[in-house]
Amino acid sequence: MRIANSGSRRRTTAGRLVTALFAAALAAACGNGDGGRGLGGRIVISGSSTVEPISIGVAEQFDDLHPDTRISVDGPGTGDGFELFCNGETDISGASRAITGQEIGDCRESGVEYLELKVANDGIAVLTSPDNDQIGDCLTFTDIYALAGPESQDFDNWAEANDLAAELGGTRGAPFARAPLTIIGPGEESGTYDSFVELVLEDLAESRGEPAQTRPDYQASADDNVIIQGVEGSDTSFGWVGYAFYDSNRGRLKGFEIAGEDGRCVEPSAEAIAEGSYPISRPLYIYVNKAKMAANPALEAYVEFYVSDPGLATAAEVGYVALNEEEAAATAEAFQQSRPDGSPSPSLSGSPTAAGSPAPQPVGGA
Amino acid sequence: MNAASRTLTSSPEIVRARLQGRRFDAAGFFFRLLLLAAMFVTLGLLALLLFDVVSGGWGVISTRLGDFLTGKLGITAARAGISQGLRGTFFIGVFVVAIAFPLGVGAAIYLEEYAPHSRLTRFIDVNIRNLAGVPSVVYGLLGFAIFVKALRFVTGPESNGATVISAGLTLAVLVLPIVIITSAEALRAVPDSLREAGFGVGATRWEVVRSHVLPYAGPGILTGTVLSLARALGEAAPLILVGATTGYLSEGAGYSLASLQERFTAMPIIIYTWAGRPQPGFQEATAAAIVVLLVVVLLANTVAILLRNRYEKRR
Repeated sequence: MRIANSGSRRRTTAGRLVTALFAAALAAACGNGDGGRGLGGRIVISGSSTVEPISIGVAEQFDDLHPDTRISVDGPGTGDGFELFCNGETDISGASRAITGQEIGDCRESGVEYLELKVANDGIAVLTSPDNDQIGDCLTFTDIYALAGPESQDFDNWAEANDLAAELGGTRGAPFARAPLTIIGPGEESGTYDSFVELVLEDLAESRGEPAQTRPDYQASADDNVIIQGVEGSDTSFGWVGYAFYDSNRGRLKGFEIAGEDGRCVEPSAEAIAEGSYPISRPLYIYVNKAKMAANPALEAYVEFYVSDPGLATAAEVGYVALNEEEAAATAEAFQQSRPDGSPSPSLSGSPTAAGSPAPQPVGGA
Repeated sequence: MNAASRTLTSSPEIVRARLQGRRFDAAGFFFRLLLLAAMFVTLGLLALLLFDVVSGGWGVISTRLGDFLTGKLGITAARAGISQGLRGTFFIGVFVVAIAFPLGVGAAIYLEEYAPHSRLTRFIDVNIRNLAGVPSVVYGLLGFAIFVKALRFVTGPESNGATVISAGLTLAVLVLPIVIITSAEALRAVPDSLREAGFGVGATRWEVVRSHVLPYAGPGILTGTVLSLARALGEAAPLILVGATTGYLSEGAGYSLASLQERFTAMPIIIYTWAGRPQPGFQEATAAAIVVLLVVVLLANTVAILLRNRYEKRR
């Protein structure tokens, strides 16, 4: 009899579970009764993993102001991000480069009109110790490739890179003096590593049939402070960090001037990065789906916050170069221009004066 | 019964000792040492892992455990928390318990107790076993195609289907073959004499299954299902394909039912993303998140063991 008892009891618990689940599924399927209070709405952000930290930082601040919005941020990569974006699956896509012709076509095909907003600059400083008087002040991409590229494994003296540099041509720093070479930089998991490879090494590596990566035998650290200490630690060190971190430790480091295609040596500076003359830099963008922004006040408010002063300042907090005043104004202007004619700003801060500006300006899309 | 079995196992030893005399059994001794070493290596690795994780995450656990458990995903390690991961993992667990367990146990009962022993059932049996060996990423693709894409109107039209419903269903499907196999194994271990006794006193098949077979197989079924629950809670790969959020997630609807159709994240996803974050502090946070996930899984196992003990006593 006991046996029968326990059997039936278990059946009822199981039954209850199943009922509960069905109720749950039904309730979930039937409605998200979430209209009304505050700025409720979904904002889906994807795209470049380089831009991801900025979007997260902005989202954190925005969430404090509007706790009812539902923001999610991912960073699968610029290309993957555009694929989702042009499919209409995301509202905002971060990009560490401008949208390509192919992607513009994809977006047009599926009728996604977008707004391109520059939100920050990504720059990398190539470093040595301030006591380094054996190596020249200016390097080209070829010099850097010869020192830290995939073909430079086991070089522990600057002079060992001379043969490779001579073979490549287009050097400025080489031939290097005989001096011990210690290399220190961010680890592979870091965005700065990716940026360094993409901006400096990738083209050269590809043309020589090498994998796009740095040499594997360098001291990698996730902690920028450790990199700085390492660079200071040896007179003839070689390293790289994000520009923002270099800028706040200028006294302890020497940043190489970099010569781009025009052969002019440019010192790493905020101005040079903003105007794009410093070769190891690139603009970071977000692309916003216009139709979704028109339909979703929360999305519009988020983008408005993104291009406001506190929003754009986030870039510097997460290690990039914030836009200068001029660029920030241009970005804010681009956003205001995109607003539908005469629509009042739905956001908290009252309607900005530029709301009446006519002729929405499609950046691409249409 | 215990005492009886002890005398049974010890008597052959006495016999062996008498037969062998006092000769030293070198091969046997060596084999025993080998087995002992195997056990210590396994335990040692486990202890090392636990020590590594706990010591790595101790900074977070000892100073801000409360914040850590209630905080949100974010970019600053010092403020980041895992509440959303815990919620996602909780819902996934609910889906597995509510869907995979009844379906799996039901299928196992049918296969073992009702289905005729034909070629077809053997074919089905083999296939279920094969399904249990399919890599979890493949289930992720399946979940993406079916729950995220095709059934988007149910799983969450406004979140592109990348919701906890899709995740829960995918993982329920993932563990279903395991639940069926372990349950079938437990049912097969029920002695036929028990069934025959039931039939002998005129019970129907349903009565025999309900009041004899299931109670006997219950603890075994429970053990298998809980192991599969632990497996589901620890999976990351399928969730990545289903679209778990990695960077940032708003608080949203909390534990309410509405949040089922929202974007989600889960503990293994948090561990996976944080482990790759370069910002300082995330290594510690990762270790702490691992400790929390271990505790969650251990709690689930404990509940199962308690339930099993209760059923065993009743039997």
